[in-house]
Amino acid sequence: MSRVHRQLLYGWLGLLALVAIEFGASILPLPRGLRPALMLPALAMVAVVGVAFMRAKRGPSIVRVFAFAGLFWLTILLGLGMMDPLTRAVYTVQSTELP
Amino acid sequence: MSQTATVNERAAPAHERPSYLFDGVTLKSWLLTTDHKRIAVLYMISITIFFFIGGSAAALIRYNLIVPEGMIPSAETYNRLFTMHGVIMVWFFLVPSIPVTIGNFVLPLMIGARDLAFPKINLLSWYLFILGGAVALYALFVGGADTGWTFYAPYSTNYAQGNVVLLVTGIFISGFSSIATGLNFIVSIHRLRAPGMTWYRMPIFLWSLYSTSVIYVLATPVLAITLLLVAFERVFHVGVFDPRIGGDPILFQHMFWFYSHPAVYIMILPGLGVVSEVIPVFARKELFGYKFIAWSSVAIAVIGFFVWGHHMFVSGQSLYASIVFSLLSYFVAVPSAIKVFNWLGTLHKGYIRFDAPMLYALGFIGLFVMGGLTGLFLAALAADVDLHDTYFVIAHFHYIMVGGMVSAYFAALHFWWPKMSGRMYPEMIARAAALLMFVGFNLTFFPQFILGYLGMPRRYHSYPPEFQVLNVLSSAGASILAAAYLMPLVYLVWSLLYGERAPANPWNAKGLEWETPSPPFTANFAITPVVTDGRYNYPKPETSEAHG
Amino acid sequence: MAEEIAPHLHFQYADTGHQEETAIAGMWLFLATEVLFFGGLLLGWMVSRHWQQAGFDAGGRETVLWIGTTNLVVLITSSFVYSAGLGFIEADQPRRLVQCCAVTIGLGTIFLALKLYEWHIDLSEHLFPAGPFKLHGSEADGARLFWSFYFVATGLHALHLTVGLGVLCWVIREARKGAYSAAWHTPVEVVGLYWSFVDIVWIVLYPMIYLVGRGT
Repeated sequence: MSRVHRQLLYGWLGLLALVAIEFGASILPLPRGLRPALMLPALAMVAVVGVAFMRAKRGPSIVRVFAFAGLFWLTILLGLGMMDPLTRAVYTVQSTELP
Repeated sequence: MSQTATVNERAAPAHERPSYLFDGVTLKSWLLTTDHKRIAVLYMISITIFFFIGGSAAALIRYNLIVPEGMIPSAETYNRLFTMHGVIMVWFFLVPSIPVTIGNFVLPLMIGARDLAFPKINLLSWYLFILGGAVALYALFVGGADTGWTFYAPYSTNYAQGNVVLLVTGIFISGFSSIATGLNFIVSIHRLRAPGMTWYRMPIFLWSLYSTSVIYVLATPVLAITLLLVAFERVFHVGVFDPRIGGDPILFQHMFWFYSHPAVYIMILPGLGVVSEVIPVFARKELFGYKFIAWSSVAIAVIGFFVWGHHMFVSGQSLYASIVFSLLSYFVAVPSAIKVFNWLGTLHKGYIRFDAPMLYALGFIGLFVMGGLTGLFLAALAADVDLHDTYFVIAHFHYIMVGGMVSAYFAALHFWWPKMSGRMYPEMIARAAALLMFVGFNLTFFPQFILGYLGMPRRYHSYPPEFQVLNVLSSAGASILAAAYLMPLVYLVWSLLYGERAPANPWNAKGLEWETPSPPFTANFAITPVVTDGRYNYPKPETSEAHG
Repeated sequence: MAEEIAPHLHFQYADTGHQEETAIAGMWLFLATEVLFFGGLLLGWMVSRHWQQAGFDAGGRETVLWIGTTNLVVLITSSFVYSAGLGFIEADQPRRLVQCCAVTIGLGTIFLALKLYEWHIDLSEHLFPAGPFKLHGSEADGARLFWSFYFVATGLHALHLTVGLGVLCWVIREARKGAYSAAWHTPVEVVGLYWSFVDIVWIVLYPMIYLVGRGT
């Protein structure tokens, strides 16, 4: 098997391992607030796909600039966007169920 | 500048090649063109049509407001009119405006390239714009919507009568046009610059276009998903904005303004770039602080993404988030101020000529400063509680959008008109139109600052009688403004047929685009230029060469 | 992007390497826009779950875990196979590229088929958030929010995947005509980037839809 294909195979196996970890972790009784931590293996998987399959490290350098820009701006959207709900003073009212 | 040969040299000598305007005279050659210059012309015709449609809506709005009870009998109709005005002017005139017309035309010329990186995608962007525009116009033709251009949920998602889905579909489609243009510009600037053209030797306008393109590319997708969610909620009743199932209507505002605040920087950054180009030429002086102006464009584009919550101070957003957004909004004003001071530094001890482009650029500086400073009033939390949703806000953004951006658009139009059309426009009439526009603009919008401060709300069909005098002044100004906009339409078209033929460099300006004939031939350059010095090295005013 | 089937150099580029790198750069920038597009949905998920955590997670428990997980493995494998195909054409083996494309298309089709089946299950269990709904009581509102998010997210992802399948069919057609070689295969690489991105979106959506709400 060529070097290129071997590295792709390792990437695929790594991804499957991460799926197993993620799935296994989801069975653990995590408190509700910590459940989003299950996203972490997913982020690792994204990195593996980006590097192994999409060749983020090997392409022209501008590619890494664009990838970083996308991720940075996503962080701004999610971070500054969540700042409001997380810091709002909530005045509860009676909830109503849809008819 | 010295020149070297490249791979793709064409056989015919330069003087025998047709200009891009006549290289193929069939309708098909225009509608299937991939020449960036022709696409720029197609866009220019399109946005001019939209400008006058949006302007007609504005005329009707000002007509309605000359009497307190409203000249137009139906408040519902009035609501649809201001929605139409906002939607058309924002998405079908201002957001594309300078980048797709002037930018498409001059960007490859300025970097010494023969076309953009992806010419077919460029043509696709125009077709997407036309398709989106057609859908939006159709939506307005069959009655429009009354949500305002901001489409706030849950009104737009649950309660509004009217063609909301159709209208947002048109806007959604046009968003892809923006993304395609921005992508093309960014990749072209990175990859197609002529040998020797470092980033700091690029015309300053390209820094603005690049910054604008970053916003096109990163903000517009969020608008796309937001509008999609509105449409889904209306059509399928699935929605995350519905308060009846615990959804957060303010989420809509977050998502909408995440795009729409950077969008206002899309609307102004190209204008800032144009002014930075025009002032050195007509002051015969090197641009003061090139690097500061260049990086200030980037700073505006980046910081502009951090401030959207300042549209939401009274929406129910958390106080702490509001404080953060307010603080960041003050920061974003700084790069704009840097530009203004650098322009003044350029003008200082220059040899100033008051040609029409310069009149528009000088008008821009004054009006933009007023608009920008009043933005700071609004960024203050306590002041905004009183001023939000009043005519103060309307005056603020019209000073920037119309006083600033539209002036810059006319400056750009007149500055590059000889290059694009090969004709000179009639100078004295152009100067008169510029001055008339300045007068009409101030008469229209200055009273609105006062109205807002006194408490007149925006988007109201009628108003208390004590506000009538100011409203009448504003409407009178609007009619003068309309005349000032019609004048260029007439004389620019006139110049196409009867104007004096333009030389390659009518303004004695520096830059690669002025080295091509007016108008250029299709491939732009016979041989790829090699750049050896910066763009703005005008001779010092003491030498005789300066009097050009 | 180079749209001709022959390795034709466009006049604005210095050489084919320059053109290829530019096409790849263009696709990465486009993918950055897609990150922001789906990012808006992510924000919606985060905000909705924040306000209605109990109901949101209750909605999440109703998802069909085995289909979601199978689809995850299917898509990851398809991304691997397609990248292997790119590796083959770089080694001047167009036949292997065709085979890899065929497998990728097959796996993508399996994904879609399972997805459609899953939607059928969801709809027959009254999990569509408008109209009569499976869950009642205090959790119903949050569950409706979850399922709104679910249908929009999986629908948009499936749309992107379908477009990807169409483009893959175009690639396989061109590959069988012998259009690609070790010297020129830019469209193969560019399409691969897009396909891997479709994979990435599912990788991110999977825990949000199938895992976070469970086990509480």
